[in-house]
Amino acid sequence: MKCVTLFRHDDHCWQMFGQDPDKPDNVIDTNQYMIRSGNAAILLDPGGMEVFPAMLAALTREVPVDEVKALFLSHQDPDIGSSLPLWRRVCNPDIKIYLSWMWSGFTAHFDRDAVFTTIPDEGMEISLSHDVRLRFIPAHYLHSSGNFSVYDAKARILFSGDIGAALVPPDRATGSMFVTDFAQHTQYMDGFHRRWLGSARARDAWCAQVSKLEIDMLAPQHGLVFKGDDVKRFIDWLSALEIGSGVAAMNR
Amino acid sequence: MEQHSSERRVRTQRTDRIESRANGLLIDCRRAFHSFRELDELAENLRILSLNAELAAGRAGDKGRAVRSLTQYTRELVNRLAQIQGEMHELRGQTFAHSSTILRSLTQLGLFERSCQLVADGDHDERARATVNRAFLEVMTILVETLDEMANVVRDLAGRTHGVEEVVSQSDSIATNIAIEAAAAGVHEKEFRTVSDTMRTYVDDLRLMIDDAADAVRRASEKGEALRRMGLDTLDDLNRIA
Repeated sequence: MKCVTLFRHDDHCWQMFGQDPDKPDNVIDTNQYMIRSGNAAILLDPGGMEVFPAMLAALTREVPVDEVKALFLSHQDPDIGSSLPLWRRVCNPDIKIYLSWMWSGFTAHFDRDAVFTTIPDEGMEISLSHDVRLRFIPAHYLHSSGNFSVYDAKARILFSGDIGAALVPPDRATGSMFVTDFAQHTQYMDGFHRRWLGSARARDAWCAQVSKLEIDMLAPQHGLVFKGDDVKRFIDWLSALEIGSGVAAMNR
Repeated sequence: MEQHSSERRVRTQRTDRIESRANGLLIDCRRAFHSFRELDELAENLRILSLNAELAAGRAGDKGRAVRSLTQYTRELVNRLAQIQGEMHELRGQTFAHSSTILRSLTQLGLFERSCQLVADGDHDERARATVNRAFLEVMTILVETLDEMANVVRDLAGRTHGVEEVVSQSDSIATNIAIEAAAAGVHEKEFRTVSDTMRTYVDDLRLMIDDAADAVRRASEKGEALRRMGLDTLDDLNRIA
């Protein structure tokens, strides 16, 4: 599994894990992110159980696993958090697990013994260390009805979960973790966003909300990271996109 | 930006053997319960037969006295079957609960085994290896404990199978005795012989059930014991390494 450092300043660091070459083909590729500051780390969307071994091996190259103090699940999907019982087995018992209040009972199907710190609809802010704070920003209905993005104002990185996701065919992958040609890249995002995202009102609200933030990188859970001007390009592209395409199938 | 990749994953077989045997154990347990799937219906048929036999015995007056007693025994056997059935339902529930834990543990075991392999390279420190090995050991312990409980369920199932065997043997004797009574029942002979023959049919069906179930239980018991030993050996190995 690849590990890319997106940001580093002193002991504050963002790392992205993904593009596991040994992942079974039928399992969707996911990006996992770790934010570290001091001796605390949080994993954003730690991944499905199928990627757990490779993810654990990649992570423990970077940090002792007992420094992972928290897990954040943007929503309830299995590729986000079905590895939960495995992480809880290797991390300290007091690990915090952040998740929308909506999904704790559902996600307990992955791990009935997990104790969740539930996030209210309005979102919340947490301290990773004395000088790094993270904001959980509402991203409801995009695509999950209880969904959050994570913003790190110091690193100026927005973890956007499934928003910005791209399904890049393996034969088109360049090996880079970053979008290098935005216009070319939209073809890999188009179908996903049209079908998975259902609410134009929610999309508009999210775009308005994140447009106010200073973002150097927008990091999705699938596909490639947007940086620099591509962040604004992405938000503009998403704002104009017709979404909710599944409804067409119901009008026959 | 720094970027580096982990090495390709290599499959190992340490848990494969346990997994395939555990799957075999679950299949045998399911087969044993499946063998008794018509027990409900057979017990009900036996109950109705005993009621009909009692009516026939009543019609036969003095010549039906012995048959009447025999039908009362039959009803006691039917009650015994109903009790065994209830116990089997409970065992079936326990088996499914244990199966679920075993399958979940096996999945986790496979994933931690892969993790163990991946951290067993020069890039990981002893702390990482110890963490993953400890997790593997914990899951293996849960698996062995659950297999132990599963072995107890299989033993209980063997006990219930033996209970049905006793019912079969006693029903067979009753059928024989009714046939003997039929020979001396004069005009009622045909009626009593029908009862006796029908009862034999049910006994034969029960025997088939028992044969199939006993075979499945025996296999499950052997696999359960082998698995438990295999799990204990693995635990010993892991504890030695730890």
